[in-house]
Order: sequence, then structure tokens, then C-alpha cells
Amino acid sequence: MDSLYQYAWLIPVLPLAGAMLLGLGLIAYNKTVSNLRKLSSTFIVSLTGAGMFYSFAILWSQIQGHPTYTRFFEWASAGDFHLSMGYTIDHLTALMLVIVTTVAFLVMIYTDGYMAHDPGYVRFYAYLSLFSSSMLGLVISPNLVQIYVFWELVGMCSYLLIGYWYDRKAAADACQKAFVTNRVGDFGLLLGILALYWATKSFEFDVIGDRLTELVETGALSGALAALFAVLVFLGPVAKSAQFPLHVWLPDAMEGPTPISALIHAATMVAAGVFLIARMFPVFEEIPTAMDVIAWTGAFTAFMGATIAITQNDIKKGLAYSTMSQLGYMVMGMGVGAFTAGLFHLMTHAYFKAMLFLGSGSVIHGMEEVVGHDPTLAQDMRLMGGLRKYMPITAITFLIGTLAISGIPPFAGFWSKDEILAATFAAKPAMWLVGWLTAGITAFYMFRMYFSTFEGSFRGKNEEIKRQLRAEQLQRMGLAFGPGAMNPRELTTEPPTDDHSAAPDHHHSDTPHESPLTMTFPLMMLALPSVLIGLVGTPFANYFEAFIHPPGEVVEVPTLGIPADFDWAEFLTMGGSSVGIALIGITLASLMYLSRKIDPSAIAQKIQPLYQLSLNKWYIDDIYDVVFVQGSRRLAKQVLEVDIRIVDGLVNLAGFVTLVTGEGLKYLENGRAQFYALIVFGAVLGLVLISGIT
Amino acid sequence: MNIADFPWLTTIILLPIVASLAIPFLPDKDGRTVRWFALVVGLVDFAITVYAFYTQYDLASPDLQLVESYTWVNSLDLKWSVGVDGISMPLVLLTSFITTLAILAAWPVTLKPKLFYFLMLAMYGGQIAVFAVQDMLLFFLVWELELIPVYLLLAIWGGKKRQYAATKFILYTAGGSLFILVAALAMAFYGDTVTFDMRSLMAKEYALNFQLLVYGAFLIAYAVKLPIFPLHTWLPDAHGEATAPVHMLLAGILLKMGGYALIRMNMEMLPDAHVRFAPILVILGVVNIIYAALTSFAQRNLKRKIAYSSISHMGFVLIGIGSFTDLGLSGAVLQMVSHGLIGASLFFLVGATYDRTHTLILEEMGGVGKKMPKIFAMFTACSLASLALPGMSGFIAELMVFVGFATSDAYDPTFKTIIIILAAVGVILTPIYLLAMLREIFFGPENKELVEHEILVDAEPREVFIIASLLVPIIGIGFYPKMMTQVYDSKTQQVTAVVRQSFAAAASQSDDSMAIAPQRAPALVDG
Repeated sequence: MDSLYQYAWLIPVLPLAGAMLLGLGLIAYNKTVSNLRKLSSTFIVSLTGAGMFYSFAILWSQIQGHPTYTRFFEWASAGDFHLSMGYTIDHLTALMLVIVTTVAFLVMIYTDGYMAHDPGYVRFYAYLSLFSSSMLGLVISPNLVQIYVFWELVGMCSYLLIGYWYDRKAAADACQKAFVTNRVGDFGLLLGILALYWATKSFEFDVIGDRLTELVETGALSGALAALFAVLVFLGPVAKSAQFPLHVWLPDAMEGPTPISALIHAATMVAAGVFLIARMFPVFEEIPTAMDVIAWTGAFTAFMGATIAITQNDIKKGLAYSTMSQLGYMVMGMGVGAFTAGLFHLMTHAYFKAMLFLGSGSVIHGMEEVVGHDPTLAQDMRLMGGLRKYMPITAITFLIGTLAISGIPPFAGFWSKDEILAATFAAKPAMWLVGWLTAGITAFYMFRMYFSTFEGSFRGKNEEIKRQLRAEQLQRMGLAFGPGAMNPRELTTEPPTDDHSAAPDHHHSDTPHESPLTMTFPLMMLALPSVLIGLVGTPFANYFEAFIHPPGEVVEVPTLGIPADFDWAEFLTMGGSSVGIALIGITLASLMYLSRKIDPSAIAQKIQPLYQLSLNKWYIDDIYDVVFVQGSRRLAKQVLEVDIRIVDGLVNLAGFVTLVTGEGLKYLENGRAQFYALIVFGAVLGLVLISGIT
Repeated sequence: MNIADFPWLTTIILLPIVASLAIPFLPDKDGRTVRWFALVVGLVDFAITVYAFYTQYDLASPDLQLVESYTWVNSLDLKWSVGVDGISMPLVLLTSFITTLAILAAWPVTLKPKLFYFLMLAMYGGQIAVFAVQDMLLFFLVWELELIPVYLLLAIWGGKKRQYAATKFILYTAGGSLFILVAALAMAFYGDTVTFDMRSLMAKEYALNFQLLVYGAFLIAYAVKLPIFPLHTWLPDAHGEATAPVHMLLAGILLKMGGYALIRMNMEMLPDAHVRFAPILVILGVVNIIYAALTSFAQRNLKRKIAYSSISHMGFVLIGIGSFTDLGLSGAVLQMVSHGLIGASLFFLVGATYDRTHTLILEEMGGVGKKMPKIFAMFTACSLASLALPGMSGFIAELMVFVGFATSDAYDPTFKTIIIILAAVGVILTPIYLLAMLREIFFGPENKELVEHEILVDAEPREVFIIASLLVPIIGIGFYPKMMTQVYDSKTQQVTAVVRQSFAAAASQSDDSMAIAPQRAPALVDG
């Protein structure tokens, strides 16, 4: 079986080769390659498909009990420092490989339908393939440096893909924001890696863990310092997995095409943070302070994301905040030591959230036929409604996803979220309360989304709402630029035409239509795991835990049937309470958005400050704008002023003085050579004298 | 004749210079023949360089190789002696590679083509000579000589303020090189024997105070060249006015002379002074990184922005040089090579963009990505390389400097922590100014004013070829850095051993009068 592992490096290399081939083709023979649309996409999809089958083979082999396989080659060296790269395949890697390849494969199929009219179709596939390669490289990394390498590379792919429609101003801003925010996290990660290397002389996860524990025990390293190192490393996941306070990039990242939102900004890349925590678990679990920081960051992010998601009207933004919130659950789980539960939720979330995003893309695709290629209109839920009649497959799959994320049994999300909540309750009841409340809010906002999109009557032809939305958009743009920077010409009522398609607008339809099969097929395929995959990790027969558990722990493989010592009372209270609050949320949502018995705007009026807080995303973007964006600009300007006026001036002045004396000397001594000689002579004499005296 | 005895380095240096002398006699009216001539000479010289190093250079040895020495002026003890080792060999290779590409980049030059290519070829030989000569006096001469073509290239083919920039350039660098002469003479006449030979100078034992003075003199000269804050202000002016090919030479090669000379003279010849000065170099390195990154962010002129980014990147070279570790020094050399490639590519692209937009002011650009997708793609790739994206050469160089400095046992942990945190701030600042620059040039809706007045055509094959040639080694080193590091590893180890020995000696002398505050004895560290 070892030959299977010897060639495992092919999994990331295949998509890389595909991306490079397309990239070179696009640079060298732009016109020809751009027209080879179907050929390019088939090529890339089959490469990913091959990777997917390979990953399944590896997963199967790991389930059969194949030992961990690691391979290294020396990558860089200097003196007695050697840095190796390579790949390691264990249970966690095998699981991640399967998650990434399956979602990527389905998203790539979906892309064919979604991007059919886009002129950059081939470029998009090249980026997608490059991303898959980087992400797969990340999950097979055997040490921290390689993780950091691919960590940055997935960030770059995310940058390229968010800025894919680069002529849109919002996309241009968003991609830069994403990259820079992630770099802030990477700053911490880099410092953490350096500090851990300084302390332990290793980049490998388990070695770091062992040596660090030893150092703390012998007192060679203070516990506070160890905790600081761990928290620095954790800053990486904070940015990548959109945790407070570095979450601000994720909602803006929705400016990228929807397949990207599904693959990168919901299912895989953002989960890389949780993956890194899992890899670093041997280090973190020994440091209680770090675990507390992780857990509370996760809990707070889960709550904050959910509260913001309530008031979002853009369907993708709503889902983005819900992703943030769900990632918060995973991080919280990791923080309370629920390693298995966190990764279980990562897996279930990857499938149902990818499906929800692809579903939202299908909705947007349908809406564009009615309102045109304007994201302000096509993504706003206030213009939707009643879409179930027109897009039944999308509606059913979206409903499945909504039930899964709301934690209704037997859908996947119930099992994983419940496991996290149970573990949290055992560790920190106060934190459980936060998670439990968030579960209710989650159910509420997800059903709000479902009801206002798919139920009721279609509002896409309502000109009144359209006008209102455009006005709101102009107002937002004005705010973003600051009043001073506003160009008066931009204030015309004509909306900026952000066509992402060069094809003539074909939105003459009055009603949206179901998307083509290439788009609905992935939805249906993703619905299967969204319903079923939770069953591998039920508390009474937890096959998932037998496969994925913290290194060093022994977990017995469950036998068939429910074990005799299973604590039904605990399971029923825990599960019952979270299902209960979810049902309350759903009922509330149906009263407000389905039967319209309660008027949401009346409630919003009553709790105006809270409503505004949620609508303005807790004002965090505004605060960052003033403090960091404006602040750094002002600082940079001042430094430049100093450079031009003071530094340059002073050095020039010094030079000027010498020059004047030089000019003077030139007249006196009649020639530059003598001047040189004199200086030289004097200097040599001086040097010799000084060194002679001492 | 035996191939090993062939005077390879002399040939490599003299071939372009001799060829340049033939240019005035070329029958050429429209400037086409001369550029082909220059390109062929460049390629031939590059081929000879590659062949000579491939067949004659032994990677495992840290010693000088391909050595030649002929007495030139007997009374002055002036010898034509050349040779390369691990530090100069990659830079010689880089020089002939970048200069050849710069000649190709100069294809559209129509003003006085004969003079232009004459100067380019003269530069070619002069630059290689700086890295290859092994005689102090000769070093000073070629260091000065290579300034003249740059001065003329700036003063004749530059932008609007070219006279000011060229004069400032020559005053700064010539002023700096005066210090080289003084220091070189002082070293030559020190002790019993009078010699200019670098290896003999290395072997001399100098008194500490003498070393410190000479070190300071060298440092001023090389600080102008590298450049190091606060002697950097000639660079934005010179870069802001230079044309793209000159730009490529300035950023790709000339800046590296400063780093090269710091290692060759300050570290190898004056290790005891280096022990005292290293903390200062490290601090200046951090200042370079942050200060230049901030000024770059505030700059609205594209060329000046990239010029400041060069200064920022050179900060890592300083930290590596001051680290007292194999890894740090190796990273410093790699950063020089890497920045040579990346800097040259970015400046070339800035020139290519300017050729189309005819403006360097960012406000006057915007949304040009739609009309020039290839330039957009290449610019993005090179900017990502510059912001040290993994998979490209800049990342591994910076990482080696970081790890090298972090594991250095020569510094107090607090000092190390502060330096590393500040240097890592550069990791955040670099993408801010580079990505903001990309956004302002290429992203967003098209700038109507610009599109109406300028014809924005996409990159031509020649331009794609130049960038591709530069990206291949950038990505190659990024994917497999060992390919590059093994070229000079034995040499950097030797240099580090020399300075570490001095460091150990200094640390054991606890009654030392010179302050080595942030440093401490090596035995105390190691966790």
C-alpha cells in the first residue's frame, strides 16, 4: 500500500500543474486559450476529480489503520541549520483532503454554469485550481514553516479571487482589505513560529509540544511566556478563520464570485484556522491560558456574528456572518478541548455551508435575469420572495442547509454543534450559555433568510424597493469615501453599472428561472452529506471520534448498537435544550417573515440602539477605519514630510557645506587632485596618529 | 591552452568594455544595428560567465576561485587581481543577467543610441569588476569608474529633473567613496608591510580603535550605496528620474555593491569592529524597513514609491549581516540576489506602464487593468514577489533573516524581541503600500481622462519575455531555495566563523571599554 502514499504529493501538484498550464497559456496565447472554455474547465475539473478519488483511497487506507506516513526532503540549509519540507498523511490530513477535494470538485462543476457568460471564465478556473493546490498543500504540511508557506498562498489566492472582478471598486477594496487583515494575523503567526523555534529548536508540532511542556516544567521558560507564544500563533487562525477582532475582511470578501464564497470563504480556507489549531493542539492543550483565550474568542465571535447576521439584507453578507459565527463555534470547541467536536463541525459545516452559498449563488443567478447584473439589487433579499415556485431544487436544498445549520436532528449540523455545546457545558457553563443563545439566534436568522427568499410573494418587480436600495447604496459609497473625497458627479441617480458580463443584459424575464443542471447537480450532491454525514458522529456510536481524536489519546472503535452505559439523560437534556431554542428561533422567524403576524420594523424601532449596533456591524469597521486606515495614512504622510524636509535637507546641507569648502579649496589649490591628495594625506596621518597613540 | 588557466574573469570584465569601444565605428544610422550589437555582446558575455562558473567553480570550497593576478603598476604595488568566491559569484552572475536584460529593455531608446549602448556596455564590465577585483586600490578605481556611466545615463536620458538627480547622485556616491579611499590607504599602510591585496589586508591584525575608525569610514561609503537611513535620499531622486533600463541597473545591481562591500570589507577584514557595530547595523536595518515602508506608502509618484520599497527591503540585508549566524548572513546574501531580480522586474514594469500612461502620478491612473491585462498580471506577480509571498525568492530570504536573527546567541533576548517585532511590522506594511499601488493603477473603473488621451496597449512579447526571464529564477529560488543557498553556503559559514570568533574574544574581555550593551556572552543563551 505504500506506493499509494509515495505518490500522495500528486494531490496538490496536479491542480498546480493545471493552473500553471492555463496561466502560461493565458499570458502567451491569450485569445486562443480564452476561447478554449470547455476544454480548460474539463481539464481542471478532471484533475481535481482525480485528486478527489486519490484522497478517498487514502482516507480508506487510513480507516483501515495504515500508520502515519511522512516524507521529507531538505528545502533550505545554511551552516548547521536545515529546513525540510515534505508531506505527512495521518487521519486528520486524510479527512481534510477528502473535504477539500469533494467541495472543490463540486464547486468547479457549479462554476461552469455560474460563470458561463463571464469573459474571464478560463482565468477563473486557473485561480480555482491554484487555490485547490495551495489548500491541499496546507493540509499535508508536516511542519509549521510549510503551513505558513501555504497559509500565505491560500491568502494570495483569496486575494486574487476576491478581486476577480477588478473593475468593481468594492471588489478592489475588499481584496486588499482581506490580504492586509490576514497579514496582521500572519504577523502574529510568524512571531509565534519564531518564538517557538527559539524556545524549542523545532518546527514540528509534536516536538514543539513536548519540548515546550518540558521547558515550562523545568522552569526554563515561564508559563506566561509559553502562553504568549501560543496566543501569537493563534493570531494566525484569528485572521484566517475570521475571529474577532480580525473578522472584518470576511463579509467584504463576498465581493468575489459566489463559487469562491462557497469554496474559500465558507468551506475550506477559513476552516484552515481551525485546522491549524488542531495541528497545534499538542502545544495548546498544555497551556490553559491559551486555551481560555481561544475558547472565549470563539464564543464571542460566534455570538457577534450571529447578532450581525440578523439584520443583513444582502443574502451573501448574511451567510458570511453566519460563517463567522459557525467558525466561532469550532474555535470555541477547540478552546474547551473538544478536539473531535470542533473538527466534526468543520466537516459538517463545510458541506452544508458550501451548499447554502451555492444555493445563494443560484438565487442570485435567477434574480439577475429579472433585475440585471447589479449586485445591489440581485443580492438583496428585500427584492426576493416566493422563489420556491420558480426554483424548486434550489429552495429544497437551501431548506436542508437551513435546517442543518439550525441544529435540527437528524441533519448534520445538529450532531456536531450539539457535541461542541455538550463539551462546553462540561467545561464552562457560562460559555455554554453564550453558545446556546447563539444557536437560537442562528435558527432565527437562517429561517428569516429562507422565508424572505423563498416564501411569500415575489418582489423583484417592485420599483419602489429598487429605488430605495439604490439610494442606500449611494449613501454607503458616500460614507466609504468620506464626505471630502466625494466627487459630486458620482451623486447622480444613475447607479454605477457593474456588469460582470460583457454579454448584453438579458434580463427581460419577469420571473426568475431554475438554474442549469451544472449548478443544481452540485447542490443536490451536497445535500446528501448535509443530511447524512452527522450520523457518523452520533454520541452513542461515534465513529468519527474513533478516527479523529487528539494525538496521544486512545479512543475505542464503537461497536454496533448503542452501548449500555450511554447516558441518555444527559444527551436528551443537552440536545433537547438546543433543539428547543432553535425551535423558538424558527417560530419567531416564521411569525415575523412568513405569516407577518409581528412587524419586524416595529421591533427595530423599539430597540433602536441595538438594531443600529447590529446593522452597523458593531461599528467595528468604522472604528478600524478611523484608527488604523486613517491613522496609518496620516503617519505615513508625516514620515514622508520628515524625509523630504528634514532628512534630505540636513544631509544635503552637510553635503553643501563640504561642497562650498571644496569649491573654495579648488580655487585655492587650483585643482581637484590636490584637494583629494590633501584630504587623503591628512586623513591617513590622522588615522595613523590615533592608532599609534592608543 | 588549458581551460582552467584561461583568464575567465578578465575576459568577462573586458569583453563588454572592449566591445563598447567599437560602437562609435559601427555603421549605424537608425540605431537598430547598435542595439543588436549590444544585446549580442551581453548574451555572449552572460554565456561565458555561466560557462566559466559551471566548469571552473567549485561550490564546496569557500576560497577564492578563478583567481588571476598580474602586476600593473609596480611602483604603486597595484595589481590587476581578480577572483570570485561564494559572495561575489552569485552577484557577478546576477549582474551579467540583469544587465543583458536591461539592454533588451532599452530597445525603444531612440535618443543618441550609440552613446547609450556604449555606456551600457561600459557599465556591464565596470559592475562585474566591482564584484571581482581583489585589490583595494583597484576596487576604489572601478567603484569610481562605474559611477560615470550612471551619471551620464541619468543626466542625458532621465526625466524632467534629471540634472538635479544626477548631480545629487554623483555628489553622494563620490563623497562616500572618498571614505573608501581614505580607509583603504590607511589599511594599506598600517603595520610593517604595504599592500593593497585584499587577502593580505584580511590577514593583518589591526588595533581595535583603528578598526573602528576604518569601519566607520567604510560604513558611510556603503551606507550611501546600499542605502542606509539617513543617507538614502539621493535614491528616490535618482530612481524617480531614471529610465527603465537604468533603473533596472540601479536597483538590481548598484544597491548590491553596498551590501557586498559591507560583507567583504567590514565583516571579513574588520571583524572586531563588526562586533561593536553590528547592533547599530541591526537598528539601522529596522529603521530602513519601517521608515521606508511608511514613506513608500505616502508617496504618490510610482517610481519613487518603488524606490522607497527598495530601501525598505535592504533593511533585511543589514539585519542579516548583523546577526552573527550562518542563517542570517545566508539570508542577507539571498535577499540581495532576490531583490536584484524583483527590484529589476518591478522597475521595468513601472517603466512599461509609464510608456503607456505617460504619468507616474497614481491619481492620474486607475482602472488600466482592463486595457492591459498582461501588464496587470505581471505587475501583480512581481508585487507579490516583493511583498515576500512564499513560493518566491523574497519570502525565503526574509524568513532566513528572521530565523537567523531570532536564533542568534549574540544578542540579549529583549533586544532581539524588539528588533524582530519591529521588523515583522514591515511584513504588514509592505502589502499595504504594494497592494494599494496595484489597486490605484489597475483596479476599479477606468479613468476616463486617461483612456481618452493615451493609447493603452497591452504588453508586447519582448516585455513578457523580460519579465518571464526574471520570474523564472524568482519562483525557482522560492520553490527550492537550496538551489541558491548551496552556491555560497560554505563561504557565508566561513565569514560567520570569523566574526563569531571575534565576538567570542570580545565577550570574554569583560573589561572592554566599548559598549556592547545589547550583546552578551554566547554561553548564556540556548534554551
